[in-house]
Amino acid sequence: MEEEEGKTKVKNKALEEDLAIFLEDVSTIYEGERRPAIKGVSISIRRKELVYIVGPNASGKTTLLETINGLLPLYKGRVFVLGLNVRTYGNEVRREIGYVPQDFMFDPGEPYKALDVVLMGRYGKIGILRRPKEEDLRKAMETLRLMGIDDQANKPVGKLSGGQQQKVMIARALAKEPKILLMDEPFSNLDPDSRERIPELIGRLHEERGLTTVIVTHDVHRISRLCRRVIVMGGGRIVADEGPENALTLLDTSRPHILGGVWHHDVA
Amino acid sequence: MMWLELAFIQRALIACILSGLLTGLIGVFVARMRLSAIGYAMSHGAFAGASLGVAISVNPLLTALFFSATTALLIGPVADKARMPADLVTSIAFPLNMALAFIFLTLSPYVGLSSEVASVLWGSVVSMTNEDLLCLTILFTASLVLIQLFWKELFAIMFDRKMAEADGINTKPFLYFIIFLIGLVITFALKLVGGILIFALLFNPASSALQFLHDMRKIIMVSPILGAFSCLSGLIVSIFLDLPVGSCIVLISTFIFAISVLFSPKRRRKEVKP
Ligand SMILES: Nc1ncnc2c1ncn2[C@@H]1O[C@H](COP(=O)(O)OP(=O)(O)OP(=O)(O)O)[C@@H](O)[C@H]1O
Ligand SMILES: [Mg+2]
Repeated sequence: MEEEEGKTKVKNKALEEDLAIFLEDVSTIYEGERRPAIKGVSISIRRKELVYIVGPNASGKTTLLETINGLLPLYKGRVFVLGLNVRTYGNEVRREIGYVPQDFMFDPGEPYKALDVVLMGRYGKIGILRRPKEEDLRKAMETLRLMGIDDQANKPVGKLSGGQQQKVMIARALAKEPKILLMDEPFSNLDPDSRERIPELIGRLHEERGLTTVIVTHDVHRISRLCRRVIVMGGGRIVADEGPENALTLLDTSRPHILGGVWHHDVA
Repeated sequence: MMWLELAFIQRALIACILSGLLTGLIGVFVARMRLSAIGYAMSHGAFAGASLGVAISVNPLLTALFFSATTALLIGPVADKARMPADLVTSIAFPLNMALAFIFLTLSPYVGLSSEVASVLWGSVVSMTNEDLLCLTILFTASLVLIQLFWKELFAIMFDRKMAEADGINTKPFLYFIIFLIGLVITFALKLVGGILIFALLFNPASSALQFLHDMRKIIMVSPILGAFSCLSGLIVSIFLDLPVGSCIVLISTFIFAISVLFSPKRRRKEVKP
């Protein structure tokens, strides 16, 4: 790995060993906007951590995730993932990140099968000029089975229900066997049963594979018991970075004051 | 059948099949990668360019290619960044390119509607040379090989560019590659269909295939076949009815599109009995 700044060499080595995600004083702006959507954000997430991110609408949660995986390139500050600078090694970094976007919509006529969509998660990793192999297909089928929708594998993805589509997107992120999982409200469309089962499954993968996991949620009462850390966002800034009990108390007692807005819904 | 033995008709038939296959193939990328606006502008850019070529007696292929490439360079970044709505860009580019084309055609040294001018306007059967056929063949073969090589990446980008990017695929080079291919295909098919209507051929076969098929792998096979069929039957109709070949091709491909909308399983409504 090359370093673009000699003086940060040692530090980055340390970053690579210990930290999965490292942001220092990061502000991200959307193309054509005047004010940054997140401002002065600094976070360090160690490898194998499970972190939840909560905060009201428009507080910058999605922006934060897409800054971490480099999809939003217009930022100030330093973003390192697995010891690599996201600005220079964006594609390398993204090959190791499973990303579940918020509310990904499929057109009913989308000419892709559910299995295609899941398999495609591995395409970056397989690499250019190489074909998917038997094993790639097996991994894709396996994650569909984990999500409980392997019987839908050959259906056009647009014909699945909203919750099934969400499961496809989760399967897609898992199928690539990432080192880091970034999930943006991944359980919002799931039925109560899946809402128990799938987070539990993610928790298990996190423990077994040492998967660094970052989950954005509004469902604060269902934060996994494995979680030791909750980051609270408000108005594009980090307003708290606490253990779950403290964070929840904080949210309960002073949320309008701290978050500068109304917490729009709590899912019981 | 006597007419089949005429050399220029034979050339036209082959040109039709190749142009139809090519436009049908590239059209799938145009439709799925949301490049309709840029493809539309590029085809009229090519029209203006070909007209300039006729006016100054330079090979219209060269000037058409130059103009459509310039159009892509000018409006590509604008459309890509979504700073300006694509339909706004095309509503400005279309009349601009038409205005230029008409000026160039008036300046052309030939008297009246020479075959060359007619070819640039609405296509011509007699204009196809052996070199044109060779170019079309090379272009078709090269496109097939490249698409086959990079099918995995193109498949993912056609699904969703942002998700492809999120999985670590560098999407930019593929986008530029496809835009470049659009420019070439438009340029080489323009003589046959004419500059005003060429875009329909980029659009109709792919849209028809997308209407009634659910699998990208089938769509990429069927769309070129529909394109070739439209071109071939359009050519035959135009020979027998003595109508402009471009118009006949476009009418037939539009008819196919209409049929595919009517019979699309994506739009079929099932009666639900109470
Ligand atoms: N594509 C965009 N262009 C311009 N501004 C944007 C864009 N997407 C988001 N923003 C702005 O950035 C800020 C943060 O948005 P973001 O989507 O990160 O919020 P969020 O916390 O994910 O909200 P939600 O809970 O609704 O998903 C908002 O003020 C929003 O208006
Ligand atoms: Mg969001």
